[in-house]
Amino acid sequence: MKRRDFIKSSIALSLLGKQIPLLAFNRPKYLPKRSTQWESDRILILIKLNGGNDGLNTIIPINNDIYYQNRSNLAINPSDAIFINEETGFHPSMLPIMDLYQNEQMSIIQGVGYPNPNLSHFRSSDIWVTGSDSESHLNTGWLGRLFSLEYPDYPDNAPEFPLAIQFNSANLLEFQMEETNAGNMVFDPEVMYQIVTGNYVPSENDPPPESFGGNELSFIREVDMNTFEYSGVIYDSAMNGSTTVDYPNSDIATQLALTSKLISGGLNTPVYRLSQGGFDTHANQSGAHATLLSDVFEAIQVFMSDLENQGLKDRVLVVTTSEFGRRVGENYSNGTDHGTSGPMMVFGSEVVPGFFGNQPSLSELDQNGNLLNQFDFRQLYSSLITDWFGLSSNIAETVFKSPFETIPFIQSPLSIHKPIPIPATFRVEPAFPNPFNPSTQIQIHLPKSAPVIIRLLDSRGMEVQTHQRCILTEGNHSFTFNGQELASGLYFIQVDVEGTALTQKVTLLK
Amino acid sequence: MTGKRISRRSFLGIDLDEKNKVSHLNPNWPTPKVATIYKNFLRDKTPVYRPNASNIKHKPIYVPSSTHVLPTVDWNKETAAHLLKRVLSGVSYAEINNAANQSLSEIINQILLDLPIPDPPGEWVTEEPPAWDTLSEDEILIILELYNERMYTLIDWWILRMTQSPLSMTESMTLFWHDHFATAHSKVFYPQAMYEQNAIIREHCMGNFKTLLRKITFGPAMLIWLDTHGSKKWHPNENFGRELLELFTLGVDNYTQNDIEEASRAFTGYVTNGLIANYDYENEVGWGIWWDDWHDFEEKTFLNQTGNWTGDDIINIILEQEVTAQFLSRKIYEWFVYEAPSEEFIDEMAHIMRENNYEIKPVLEFLFTSEHFFNPALRGAKIRNPISVIQGTVRQFELENYTYPDLFFLQIHHFLGMLPLEPPDVSGWSGYRTWINSISLPIRKLLTTSFIDGNSPFGQLDGTIDVIALANSMYNSDEADYASIQIVHNCSLMLFGIPLSESMENDLLAILLDGAEPYDWSIDAPDNDGQWNRLRDMLRFMMKKPEFQLS
Repeated sequence: MKRRDFIKSSIALSLLGKQIPLLAFNRPKYLPKRSTQWESDRILILIKLNGGNDGLNTIIPINNDIYYQNRSNLAINPSDAIFINEETGFHPSMLPIMDLYQNEQMSIIQGVGYPNPNLSHFRSSDIWVTGSDSESHLNTGWLGRLFSLEYPDYPDNAPEFPLAIQFNSANLLEFQMEETNAGNMVFDPEVMYQIVTGNYVPSENDPPPESFGGNELSFIREVDMNTFEYSGVIYDSAMNGSTTVDYPNSDIATQLALTSKLISGGLNTPVYRLSQGGFDTHANQSGAHATLLSDVFEAIQVFMSDLENQGLKDRVLVVTTSEFGRRVGENYSNGTDHGTSGPMMVFGSEVVPGFFGNQPSLSELDQNGNLLNQFDFRQLYSSLITDWFGLSSNIAETVFKSPFETIPFIQSPLSIHKPIPIPATFRVEPAFPNPFNPSTQIQIHLPKSAPVIIRLLDSRGMEVQTHQRCILTEGNHSFTFNGQELASGLYFIQVDVEGTALTQKVTLLK
Repeated sequence: MTGKRISRRSFLGIDLDEKNKVSHLNPNWPTPKVATIYKNFLRDKTPVYRPNASNIKHKPIYVPSSTHVLPTVDWNKETAAHLLKRVLSGVSYAEINNAANQSLSEIINQILLDLPIPDPPGEWVTEEPPAWDTLSEDEILIILELYNERMYTLIDWWILRMTQSPLSMTESMTLFWHDHFATAHSKVFYPQAMYEQNAIIREHCMGNFKTLLRKITFGPAMLIWLDTHGSKKWHPNENFGRELLELFTLGVDNYTQNDIEEASRAFTGYVTNGLIANYDYENEVGWGIWWDDWHDFEEKTFLNQTGNWTGDDIINIILEQEVTAQFLSRKIYEWFVYEAPSEEFIDEMAHIMRENNYEIKPVLEFLFTSEHFFNPALRGAKIRNPISVIQGTVRQFELENYTYPDLFFLQIHHFLGMLPLEPPDVSGWSGYRTWINSISLPIRKLLTTSFIDGNSPFGQLDGTIDVIALANSMYNSDEADYASIQIVHNCSLMLFGIPLSESMENDLLAILLDGAEPYDWSIDAPDNDGQWNRLRDMLRFMMKKPEFQLS
């Protein structure tokens, strides 16, 4: 195409622009509707026992002298504990969930931690939420990375429902993706809905300018629009949803009551992160810890019976987490100090009931006198990814950057047979250089020979050049685009293999 | 907004992540007993929201016409607005207009002029720390409360300085270096030390980097913040050595772990009581018993140079490295221009920095007069930080002299995550896209529009936007356009980071005119005329647009 013709056609297009909005590219509203790749309707509720729950005073080694020697003030007497077996008792505050335990809807995974544990709340929390090991620092969350694999363009092409719900007003690192955060706050859907809708004006009237400023504008527009739509989806779900039982007044019960409403109201969000603070019990632990545990377990019991009444129980799994357990020995303030691993509890009708792992050994400890871990928390998380959500083990491996053996605590592992986004049937490496002048190159990897169409589109989605229309062999192929005859601006390179198209943005800057 | 009112409680009462609560405290500072009491004291305070860090590595960008000076013919209201919005948090239309009527070099001279040193926020900035060992727990708690109040006073004092700043870069450069040396009060503990560091930055923010670096390094705040204080030759602490190389001067990959260890040996024997340090600026040497006992006087090899280096020697060797100017130029570029660097332009900035022996002003002058800085591809490419959004709005609408509810701005920045003197960690604020998410974006809009009706979730505001004065400041009877059209254009120039598009112009006019014709809208309309409410509506609409978040 000659430059003059190009200019002519783009003027014609800009004049027509107002009448043909459907042709406009990069305007999410008009793109084929939002992706719905998340095929499972299963829901994961994560409850953080914030501050480091004392595992030894939760799942109690009632037959272990070392426990009683080390905790002359804090130990739970065998007679006070709920008898489970010769070795094990539950804290009396766990009475509310005994029905769940006896009805085979609870599993306990003992000794969950990670190698070389870090005893700072700050660092250990970061390790848990980023899914790193104790030597490396990651700035994205394990769930953020999981979502990125399923929705690689997020916040573009975001799903119809929020990916994650959180009750904290600050964005959680656990949901942090490379460029944005997938968490949506719902401390009060009505207030949030009012804030969001009261402050939203539709944003997609103009294509953004073809500049770095335009890129940032598109980004903010995406977040703005997703937030707006999600606040509506959340609000609708909260209004349509219901609870069938009375929830207690505690903070965690309030969070679970709202969660129940959202789920029963039809919200398809796969992950909720709730939390109950106060577990950092350095001083005068016993009363405080008992209250915290009974708040948490009462709330979980009520929540599970609510879900059962509403026929939602088999879709929901509740998992407790905590950044670490506590030291074997009590301290001089009738409390316990930061420790290492601890038990995680899982609730749901789909669990394999009972205990995984053993009562932690109190005689074999690490060099700092702390419990050794039996499971890595990433094993637990990998099991959630593969067995609960039914995603492939490649995905879990990519999220945690190495494979972790799963723990079989899900009774009916879900398996969704679908193409894994990575590796796709074919791949296109990002164009380099980008921005470019005058030429840029892409590389296509084909797993088998296939008919390929490579196009260059302008910012309105109109074809500027058809570069190739041919059958390519298996392997790598490079293509160079020459922009000498084109005007500066945003373009799209589209590679179509047997009807599946991958598109990427490039900018020509002269 | 109608319906349920949002109480401060429903904003701030929510339990934040535990990590936001107690951060990186030194268990022995100033004494172990005080540290323990202090830790519990902080636990009861509302935590500062710490935005998540970003680890995105940006590919270099290519923007043509890099190093030439902006041609005089291109100096106009648009370019003036771009410059002033980038160097100050926000500017009024009158400031933009005045700037456009002067030359670029006159404006550069003005913004690079150091402001006079302000009066400190209180006599306490030179107060001798107490003898902690002699105090009871209750007495300590009283002092902690007092220190906490002083800290609030200091933060408020600084925020006010930013807000009330005349057209000068002093306060924005002070914020820039604060982000660079990212020191947090929660660990430093002494408000007088934080004041001292802030005053040093303000004095040297556009002076010489060598002087600035030296004064920061040996100031009480930094000595405490990165554990130089108390580091002894037989067990040197590597915290400061590492960050000095990684975050303050050379950048990663330009040194080895061995260099960190050797530098850390040189930074032993420096101590502080929170007010003064055992360091003699004039003679560039430590003094006193701790210096004699704890400093490592032996030979060290740092970046291939061997000698009996002190901390000053390490700084001198660092400043001999070419990459230092490169690293600093990139930081300045990222803060004021765009998060992805244009390498050839940064080379040029670094060259000027080295030629001028680390004087900062020539680099700023080069940057802010270059054609590259004004390139349309880069306009609007900066996502405004919370200081820019809030303090900027106050400045744009000339609301800086009103009295605000107690701790008003402090609470806002607590919530939005850019509380001055409490950066998230030693790498400072990540900025750009990390500021924008499903929570911060609607809250930003809610807070900025509250300057229109005065109903803020953090209290009722006395000063609200005077739309009549605003319209008058934006109307020029010598120009051909109707007042309504001039106001739409000039509001967009002042509030939006990117040029006004045709359909946006139509939207804004539609709100302002509400069906009337452009000539119906009169600058002389009586105060109670409904058209003023339509101007308020238009401003609300603009603040809710994504374009408002860009600079």
